[in-house]
Amino acid sequence: MDKDGKRVVITGLGVISSIGIGWREFWDNLIKGKSGISPVTSFDTSNHFTHNGGEIKNFNPEDFIPKGNLKYLSRASQLALAASRLAIEDASLSKDTSRMRIGAILGTTMGSVQTSEIINELMVLHGKTDFGDELLCQVPTHSSPSVVGSEFNLLGPNFMFSTACSAGNYAIGYGFDLIRFGKVEIVLAGGIDPLSKVAFTGFNQFSAVAPERCQPFDKNRKGMMVAEGAGILILESLENALKRKVPIYAEILGYGLSCDAQHMTQPSVDGISECMIKAMHEAGIGKEDVDYISAHGTGTLANDRNECAAIKGVFDSLYKNIPVSSIKSMLGHTMGAASALEAITCALAVKNDIIPPTINYETPDPECDIDCVPNEARRQKVNIALNNSYAFGGNNASLVLKKFAID
Amino acid sequence: MDRSVVITGIGVLSPIGIGKEAFWEGLKKGRAGFKNISLFDTSNFNVHIAGEIEFDPVEFLGKKGIRDLDRSTRLINSASKLAIDGSRLEITEENTHYTGVSIGTTFGSLHSIFQFDREGLLEGPRFVNPSHFPNTVINSPASQISIRFKIKGFNTTISTGFCSGLDAVYYASDFIKLKRADIILAGGVEELCEETFLGFYKLGYLSGNDGSDPICCPFDMRRNGIILSEGAVILIIEDEEHALNRGADILAKVMGYGNSFNLTGYKKNRYEGIGLKNAISIALKEASLMPEGIDYVCSCANSTKELDRMETEVIKGVFGEYANKIPVSSIKSMIGESFSASGALALTAAIGAIQRGFIPPTINYKERDNLCDLDYVPNEPRQRDINTVLVTSADPYGQNTAVVVGKYG
Repeated sequence: MDKDGKRVVITGLGVISSIGIGWREFWDNLIKGKSGISPVTSFDTSNHFTHNGGEIKNFNPEDFIPKGNLKYLSRASQLALAASRLAIEDASLSKDTSRMRIGAILGTTMGSVQTSEIINELMVLHGKTDFGDELLCQVPTHSSPSVVGSEFNLLGPNFMFSTACSAGNYAIGYGFDLIRFGKVEIVLAGGIDPLSKVAFTGFNQFSAVAPERCQPFDKNRKGMMVAEGAGILILESLENALKRKVPIYAEILGYGLSCDAQHMTQPSVDGISECMIKAMHEAGIGKEDVDYISAHGTGTLANDRNECAAIKGVFDSLYKNIPVSSIKSMLGHTMGAASALEAITCALAVKNDIIPPTINYETPDPECDIDCVPNEARRQKVNIALNNSYAFGGNNASLVLKKFAID
Repeated sequence: MDRSVVITGIGVLSPIGIGKEAFWEGLKKGRAGFKNISLFDTSNFNVHIAGEIEFDPVEFLGKKGIRDLDRSTRLINSASKLAIDGSRLEITEENTHYTGVSIGTTFGSLHSIFQFDREGLLEGPRFVNPSHFPNTVINSPASQISIRFKIKGFNTTISTGFCSGLDAVYYASDFIKLKRADIILAGGVEELCEETFLGFYKLGYLSGNDGSDPICCPFDMRRNGIILSEGAVILIIEDEEHALNRGADILAKVMGYGNSFNLTGYKKNRYEGIGLKNAISIALKEASLMPEGIDYVCSCANSTKELDRMETEVIKGVFGEYANKIPVSSIKSMIGESFSASGALALTAAIGAIQRGFIPPTINYKERDNLCDLDYVPNEPRQRDINTVLVTSADPYGQNTAVVVGKYG
């Protein structure tokens, strides 16, 4: 198999986020620089050090899923199903498209962890072990791609990647491979994560969570915000998309993976540099071709410093000319959904020639002297976007998207 | 697709043996690996046995840096060490960027999640031990392999339940063909823990739930559930040319693999044979084999009523007349159901069949079920030259994977 197999394009987007349901509302609010951060209400935070998170307040699962089925679905699966429905409608995928040739490839950090937390609370605090089957059946994380496959009759490969906070890019990347390979024509790919108490507690104990807001690249940044979300993309071979005569958001040129092989939680400059270099190499582009970088940009001291150092190293003298923004300033860190929502952002950026801002930016940090598109969206030609994502375990993934042109 | 994918090393920890030779010997002898559970208190359950592995991680990994690693991580790192040494693989600054890790696990972090959360519930969230937090992410076992053995190409964790182990090999084989890597440590891991045990127990999956003596007897009329177990496997998956250039021993070649989903219900997950049937058909086609080109089926049957019957029907559907002539056995009769590790363990058995010329038996086979009427290699291994093996996995959530491996050269 040559690297250049079939061309792969994006033909549908589905978003469930704290700043919007559906990509239109999400995109409008990204450009407005709206924050989705609010006090967490889904569990008691009174004994935690911090209390804010990126919780989705106006997601009503019943808008997407028959009420009788809800009790069988973890929140992760509810988010996955809702975002998938939006993406499939957006791509005008009718029921008569051959379902054998469609895969469902998702990524997550914590998966159905909310269900585990419910079960644990019943056992530990209430001494109960008589919880019903419907709760137990939600625990396996592959229940999420399963419900998506079943609901939309997708009979191709069905995968769940659990590569933590880069899982969305892993899923999109492998979806791209499966189409390029000719194994399937269409892949529903993306990432999901519910707000997890375990993650909230863990990041708090790491002193990695900001008390009020997320300020990537700011000198006074105080950390990340634990958040939730779902981002689903419909990936399709170009020939199939042209045959169906559907609008195309962007083309995927390639991706790169790397592993720091150093530390479970501290990102490495070498590892993330390698990942960007691999992605650009596969995409067949040079560093001068990159018009926008969607940063991993979590807002922690270590991440932003190391990511900026890597960008400087890779892009050399060009680095100050490339806009690098972090939508985590608005959404917080949606974990496994993050890189999928950021891939959607890149697709809309190349489609519309608009770059969303890094909000909450006040004080420059000499160690992060990139152009972070502070506080205001920018209208600017974006032909090629690079989407960075890093994760616990040093599981790095970068994806390259390009404005679609037929030749 | 120019590149051919071969297997050049195996690291295995199973209830019937540690290391490939001990594992194959156990299979050949028809040894059962079940014993009383020591990892947690079972006095609240009707079932007290499982396929627990006795092992000392220090023996494989030394003392340094293992204190905070959970059991899954210790198991899969030990398997990695065995595989790397057995394959005489040296990971260097030159080849590390073309070496990757692809691990299947679904509940690998479940115990760590519950323990971490439990501490928060009982002591308060400000008093939990932060050094246990990294164990709660599902990619922690895989990531620790990269950290320990300095593997920088990529690191992937796949969670597809029963299919995870085979899917990790499927993904790795794609990555070799796509030239994303030359060498990949691929496999699966699942640890035995109270939480997983409780879940399977509550859902009525375990043999002995009703107080009777647990029995693992795939395809037998008396089958009534699984015996839960644990396991860890790493296979060194490699580009053929790369393996030849470094003079590696090639144990088998990956000939074809298929993956297909079948629909499942909201309320009750169930097996529909069509997904497994499609997965097998794709794998055979990729391997350019007709059904009669398969010498042995290393089955995923786990001694549950539904799965064993479903797989029997699927084999009849795919193999037609030839179905009665092909030996089909389930090594789970000996090692139990190790979930995400099971596919990789079956693949290891398949390589043993090819390397050592025997078909592992289905032990505990006594009473025939009229709905399961194939040649299950009952109770005794069979000496035979094996050139090709089909390995299957099916999950009640609808995922299905099939891999065909064959003799090299």
